[in-house]
Amino acid sequence: MEAGDLSERLRSHDPAVGLRAVGALHRLAEQVEAAAVARAREQGWSREQIGDALGVSRQSVHAKYGK
Amino acid sequence: MFEQFAAGARDAVTSALNEATLRGDRRIGTQHLLLGVLHEPGSVRALGIDLKTARAALDALDRSALAAIGIDIQGIERPPIPASRKRTPFTSGARAVVPRALAETRKAGSRRITPEHLLLALLDCAQPDPAAELMAQLGIDRAAVRERIRTGA
Repeated sequence: MEAGDLSERLRSHDPAVGLRAVGALHRLAEQVEAAAVARAREQGWSREQIGDALGVSRQSVHAKYGK
Repeated sequence: MFEQFAAGARDAVTSALNEATLRGDRRIGTQHLLLGVLHEPGSVRALGIDLKTARAALDALDRSALAAIGIDIQGIERPPIPASRKRTPFTSGARAVVPRALAETRKAGSRRITPEHLLLALLDCAQPDPAAELMAQLGIDRAAVRERIRTGA
């Protein structure tokens, strides 16, 4: 399926495309978050600082990314 | 829930969990179960596609869906996501695969669910189910796959 097809389907209100895009955005956010957290840890950010930046608790950063 | 699963099918479910995590999904869906069974050579033979191809097809679906809303993710760094201690539940669609796999097991006169039974159950998914979308994207001929499984080819 080509991107052109999909734009067409989105314009024609095919919910499958919109819903998949939302799922893809969630996945993309998770991937960008994993990269950013790894980089912050490398540069010495504490879990608390990372949690504050993401708007989540220090504990949830720990649960998700471990050390 | 998994006491009726043979070792291979358990491994497929574990692989499905890993696939969900790697992609950044919060639940194990039918598309992850399909990737999970593709960790096993018998399923690769039956489906006629390999794990790498299936992963790439899921990625392509995501890229096109994002392109449809005007987002180009070319060049964005997307590392695999590390395993977390958070629980990853099944989607309702993935849960529904289990009784269907069990029915396949009974039909075959076996006692335990094998990866093959899981695959047969996944082949029955209808669009817009995510595994069905993935199989459509991959151009999988389901009747041919069933036939290959039936004849053990």
